[in-house]
Formats: sequence, structure tokens, C-alpha cells
Amino acid sequence: MAILVDKKSKVIVQGITGGAGKFHCERMIAYGTNIVGGTSPGKGGMKVFDKPVFDSVEECVEQLGADTSVIFLPAQFVKEATIEAIRAGIKFLVVVPEHIPIQDMLVVREEAVKHGATVIGGNTAGIITPGEANLGIMPDIAFTPGRVGTVSRSGSITYYVADTLTRTGYGETTCVGLGGDPVLGSTFAEILWKFEQDKKTKAVVMTGEIGGVYEEQACDTIRKMKTPVLAMIGGIYAPPGKRMGHAGAIVEGKMGTAQEKLDALSSAGAHACKTFEDIPKTLKKLGV
Amino acid sequence: MRLYEFEGKRLFKQFNIPTPEGRLAATPDEVYDIVKTAGPSVLKSQVLTGGRGKAGGIKLADGPNEARTYAQELFKLKIKGFPVERLLIEPKLDIAHEYYIGVTIDRANYKIVIIASGEGGVDIEETAVKTPEKIVRKSYSVHEQLYGFDALSISRKIGIPNELSKQGMAIVQNLYKLFKAYDAKMVEINPLVLTKDGKLIAADSRISLDDDALFRHPYLKEQGIEMRHEEGELTPREMKATEWEIPYLDLDGDIGMFPGGAGFGIMGNDFIHYYGGQPANFMDSGGGPTPERLAQMLVLLDENPQVKAIFGARFGGISRCDDFAKGVIMFLKNHGLSKPMVMRMTGNMWEEGVRLFEEAKRENPKLMEKIEFHGIETPIEEISKRAVELARIEGRR
Repeated sequence: MAILVDKKSKVIVQGITGGAGKFHCERMIAYGTNIVGGTSPGKGGMKVFDKPVFDSVEECVEQLGADTSVIFLPAQFVKEATIEAIRAGIKFLVVVPEHIPIQDMLVVREEAVKHGATVIGGNTAGIITPGEANLGIMPDIAFTPGRVGTVSRSGSITYYVADTLTRTGYGETTCVGLGGDPVLGSTFAEILWKFEQDKKTKAVVMTGEIGGVYEEQACDTIRKMKTPVLAMIGGIYAPPGKRMGHAGAIVEGKMGTAQEKLDALSSAGAHACKTFEDIPKTLKKLGV
Repeated sequence: MRLYEFEGKRLFKQFNIPTPEGRLAATPDEVYDIVKTAGPSVLKSQVLTGGRGKAGGIKLADGPNEARTYAQELFKLKIKGFPVERLLIEPKLDIAHEYYIGVTIDRANYKIVIIASGEGGVDIEETAVKTPEKIVRKSYSVHEQLYGFDALSISRKIGIPNELSKQGMAIVQNLYKLFKAYDAKMVEINPLVLTKDGKLIAADSRISLDDDALFRHPYLKEQGIEMRHEEGELTPREMKATEWEIPYLDLDGDIGMFPGGAGFGIMGNDFIHYYGGQPANFMDSGGGPTPERLAQMLVLLDENPQVKAIFGARFGGISRCDDFAKGVIMFLKNHGLSKPMVMRMTGNMWEEGVRLFEEAKRENPKLMEKIEFHGIETPIEEISKRAVELARIEGRR
């Protein structure tokens, strides 16, 4: 088992004829992901890597039975593309582009909630269920099927965590990139709860960073979970008030310092880790 | 993107939110001329940071001579690293009461929130913590309009007098409209002043816009409201990085950080601290940097005399290892590396990246001699420890 995506997912790529769309589409297919086609308005009828291209998501759903979409489009088109997909019946969307206007994300979120769809991103590296499906831009080399789930704001951190789990023999059930933008399609709390319901996931590693509120918000969920949660937060030594990289990672006054996040998560029952090496040590202690 | 007070007030005006008649001045003489005709005035430093009142950035002047003297002081002032380059001169208000009205985004709940209080002019966060009962808070979905009755209720709850409730309602509604129309992250009127002669006036503005939505607001550009630097004063290296569009911060340590994406950029700095080292900088290569950009990043580190050793990491996702290798090789060929560097590279296209390094080494066996190169077999913790060690060895020389 896995969460959100597996080998049966029927995946389309919105923006399949663009540079990034094409490049990563080929990688996803090579991994064994069940890519059934893609969209590119005005280019319906074409084929990309033997997969049919349609003008609209509606056609992909009608003719291919698509249920999942990976979006590779410029940020200003993301709102319309996600709403199109959600209304056509797509249930899971991966929004790779970054810098999506905040109010657009609020609209996308409402649409997703209304139709019972799940969106991850923007600015996500994607999601991978090792051995089954890889949606987005994550490098295959880090991942191997196993028993620990991961959820992270950052792509590079996801790779390092998975790399560590792979090296130490734990492997991963599913690795989810929440995304680095300030307003995200899904929250830590929601993804953690999906892992809680997955029988194969024996522990979850969540990695967050300074800024924002999604880490603190996960505390109530962690308290309710039986599956152990390991937590790492980047930016313990970040200079206060400075913007570091991710749009989301700015310390807003007293809100969201890394240490405060880590303390809140620990008091909710999460096991704090400082470096990636602490992850296998903690898992061993927990008997995972 | 934060706006200056005077820019925010221009937007207020556009949305029929009453503001004092203000004028901008960039020299003490201009200030003199303005106050000479305007009479008793407030001189307000225009800086992109809060707390300017406490820092002495606001002065009351009764006449032009006094105004000029104050202006001379103010133009020498730096508030939290921001030099005062312009003053907004406004007529002095006779204040009867101060309110607070703000609109922002509740990211955790995906709502737009109006926050209002009968106690304005002070730090609203402090009020929210100490006396939460004095704060009115209402949430709306992004699709919702703010109805008049709702705005009126907010106006009434914060104690705006009944005879002004219609104006209060309009100000709340218009502020909400402005927030949505310009893709704001936050708009604040603090304080909204009730004058002794019974008028409501927005005495200050604080607006922060969503950088990622600026493309759809050409009117702002027409008004001269464009992307600006918001971090106070820059070091020369930070200035160079800004020119090259590299997110870069100087820090106090001696390890040059070349860490790949933003996520590990932030965490990598923690790792260096955990192993007893001090990073000399923070840097984010962004998603999919070009080889040229990567080479520039290394130039920044190599030319920093504070840097004793360089930590390099690439876990290729959207930023591929082949591009990474091209960037490093470009730097080595065109500039050269003068410091020891430990580096780990893996991820998308790593085979191609390794091939490029091998090829470059065949061409010039000395090219990579200062680099300790690792692949996926070495945990990143080992790389971090080694960087700390290299900086220590180099520091002893």
C-alpha cells in the first residue's frame, strides 16, 4: 500500500509538450509510472513518447480514464489548469511550478475541497511511491520500496531523507513534497493523517523549516496518531528576520522560528531529529 | 513586497480611503518650503520597516525653520539599516481616538481575515496577545465579497461613533477591496484616526504585496511601485549577488556554503553549526540554475577572504547534475579555485555529471586538485564534518 499514488494511478501531464514537461515525462515513464497521456491546448492529436496529447483534461478523463495530473506550466496558468483538472474529475494533482500567486492558491484550495480532490504544491518536487510511480522531478536514485513515509516542504531535503532511509534499509512507502510556496495545496496535518491510515507505513518523517504555520498546525494530528512521527526542522541557526531562499521561509516576528516549531512538535509527541543520521537511530529505538 | 507609506496612501486614495494631504521631500530645503506654506506638520521618514516612531524617525514641526533642522537630522538617520532618503510631510492631526484595521491571509485555514481593534496606534500583535478581547477578527473565503452590514458591524464593534458608522463601514469595505484587487499579503491602517473635528483619516499605511502576482498589476508599475530591495543595507557581496539575481546573505563564519536548493541551503547551515563550524553565507541556487549562475556563486565564495573552505552539495532534482558539473567546471576554468572544497553530487543525471568532471580532469589533471569529490556513497553529514575540518586546518595556516 501507499498513499495518494501507486502503479494503478492513471497519470496525465498538463504541459506535456513544454521543455520541463517533456523532460520529466520521459523520466516518469522510464520509472514505470503509469503515464496515460497529457494536455497541451492546441496540440491535441500529437504524441509525446507514444502517449496521446489532448487539448483538454476532460478528454483525458473521458478517453483515458485519467485520475491524476502533474502540472508543468508557468505559474500564471496554474490556477486555471488546476480548476480545469479538478472539474474534469481529477482527484490528485501535483503542482510543480513555483511562485504561484497566493490568492490563486486560495481559489485552487477551495475548488479542491469542494470536489474532494487533493492538491500538493506549488513548488513541490512531487511525490513518489518507490517501485510504483514517480510524479514530478524527484531523482530515482534516492528511493527504494520500504516502510517509512516522508513529507517535506523541500525537494532537496526529501532526497536526503529518502537517501538515508534507503541506505539504512528502511526504504519508503511514499514520499510527499508539500512544496515551498507560502500557501500550499495540502498541509502537513492532512498528509500525516493519510499516512496514519496506510497499514504499510510504520513511521513518518516530517521535515519542515522556519516560517509559515503548517508545522505547528500538525500538532493536533500528531497527538491522534498511532504511527510514530519523526520531525526535523531546518533553520535552527537562521539569522532572525532574514529571508532565506524559499518564499515561505521567512521568520515573521515571533511566528514560526525553527526552534519553536520543533518544541511544539516534540510536545505533541513527535521525535525530534537534528541530522539525517538521527533518523535511522530513532527508528531503531522505536523498533520500526 | 513592502510599500512605502506614501505609496500605500496613494492606493488608499484610489480606493476612497481618506488620507492626510501629504507631500514628499528629499532635501531639508524642500521640507522648509513645504512647511512654510502648509503650517504645523509631521515629518515622517519613509523606510521599509516598522518601529520608526521609536527610532526617532517621526518629528512634529510648528514652523519651517524647525522643520528644516529636524529634516537635517532625519536625513542622517538609519532605521534598522534603512537610510532615510525621503520624508512624507503631512498636516498635524488633532487626534481624538486611534483605531486599527488590517486585512491579511490566514494561511493555515486558507481564508482572508479582517482584524480590527478599538485600540490603534500601538503594536497590534501585543494587543492580540495581552488583551485578545479587544480584537475583532472575521474570516472570509477568497470568493466572498464583504457585505456592507458586515463591515458596519466591524466598525461598530471597534467603537467608531454611530454618526460616523457609514464612513467606518466604507473604509473597512474599501480596504478589503484594495487587498483583493492588488493581491496583497497584508494591508493595515494603523492608526485610523478620529480627529477632534469628527473625521476618520488613515494616518499611516502598511502594505505588503504578493511578489508573485505583480505581473498582473501594471498600474503599480505606472505608479513607480516596482520590486525593491527590502533587507536594509547590503554588504558589497550581497549587492553583487543581487545584481546576479542570487539569493545570498553574508554570515559571520568561515565556511563558504554552496548547498543546492533552498531547503537544504537552510538545513545545511544548521549541520555546519552542529559539527562545530560557522557558515560564511547563506545561498540558494533556486530551481534549475544555469551553469553561468552556478559559476557566479562560486566566484562569490572564492573571492570572500573570510571563506577558508567551501562546502558543495547537489542532489539533482529539477537542478540537474550535468548542469551543476558544467557550472563548476566553467568556474574552475575561467576563475580557478583558491580554497579547499569538499563536494557531494548525486541525483538526476549524475552519471553525466561525473562524466563531465572526468573529461575535464583528463584535459587538465590539475583542474580538480583542490576538490574532494564524493557521490551518493558518502552521507552528507560526513561532507559537513569535512568542511568544518578543512576550514579549521586552513585557518591555522
